[in-house]
Amino acid sequence: MDTYKIIEIKESVFEDNNQRAELLRSELKKERTFLLNLMSSPGSGKTTTLVRTIYALKDEMAIGIMEADIDSDVDARTISKTGAKVIQLHTGGMCHLDAEMTRQGLEGLGTQGIDLAILENVGNLVCPAEFDTGASKNAMILSVPEGDDKPLKYPLMFSIVDVVLVNKIDAMEFFDFNLDVLKERVSKLNPGIKVIPISAKTGEGIDQWADWLRGEVKMWNNNSDCRSL
Amino acid sequence: MHEMGIVIKVVKTVEDFARNNGVTRIDTLVLQIGALSPVIPRYVESCYPMVVKNTRLEDTRLQIDVLPAMARCRACREVFDVLEHKSSCPVCHSGNPEMISGNEFMIKEIVAF
Repeated sequence: MDTYKIIEIKESVFEDNNQRAELLRSELKKERTFLLNLMSSPGSGKTTTLVRTIYALKDEMAIGIMEADIDSDVDARTISKTGAKVIQLHTGGMCHLDAEMTRQGLEGLGTQGIDLAILENVGNLVCPAEFDTGASKNAMILSVPEGDDKPLKYPLMFSIVDVVLVNKIDAMEFFDFNLDVLKERVSKLNPGIKVIPISAKTGEGIDQWADWLRGEVKMWNNNSDCRSL
Repeated sequence: MHEMGIVIKVVKTVEDFARNNGVTRIDTLVLQIGALSPVIPRYVESCYPMVVKNTRLEDTRLQIDVLPAMARCRACREVFDVLEHKSSCPVCHSGNPEMISGNEFMIKEIVAF
């Protein structure tokens, strides 16, 4: 009989992705491109919100969008009408993007001269929360019809994002959605989180969202410690 | 159903490890999965045979150790299994535990010849 040995590997499967994400983040910092990772369930209004966001900010910064979907290019076509630079990424059945796929997406998009790149992640509240994409900041959209109990069901997602956009507030009267309860549930998981109620349809709240984003992009891109000159 | 992509990654990592360490035959691959990890052992097991086909791990057995989801109570410091006690401390009944483990997904070791 062969002699065998046990070899310890002790490697976290996600660790490799975390390292790649850190590297990508530092490269983006040097290039002065702010990357926002936008996550949500399917149908929460990511693309409509993005269109609003682009119109609110496109005169002051160069914006690039990466649309990640399992298939199709309907979202990319919608976005392209705004005039923003956009590419469609197909994850081919994968339910999330990792740092390596994000890097490939950014290469496809071309980050030179782009101040704000937005990754529209695959519509899913589970797996995207597990994988650091290398984004500067993470945001999610929770729409009113989904219910204010989502933080209880998907705690990880709500604990890793910097901001939650509560979308479709124009439909609030038709649903039993309590914004105060939501805020309480969310801040229990993530004390530093910002909650911004919006309606991508009517435009309500978009100013506040654009202000937040503008501030973050400015802070990221102005930081002088990485200045190359 | 994201296990397939993750298992492909695990198999590649182990193949690289084997190549770099002069391991020719791997008898068993041992993974550790936390009870709260979004990676589901049953799905890992079901896609594993497909993923290892034509790789160095084709004849390698898969063993999965599930790690319990443990937390420490922020109020009385008791350490307890959150799934067993539904996130509420069995001693002081405070519902504010701090997670210690349960989210892991690790390649623990290989048994090699």
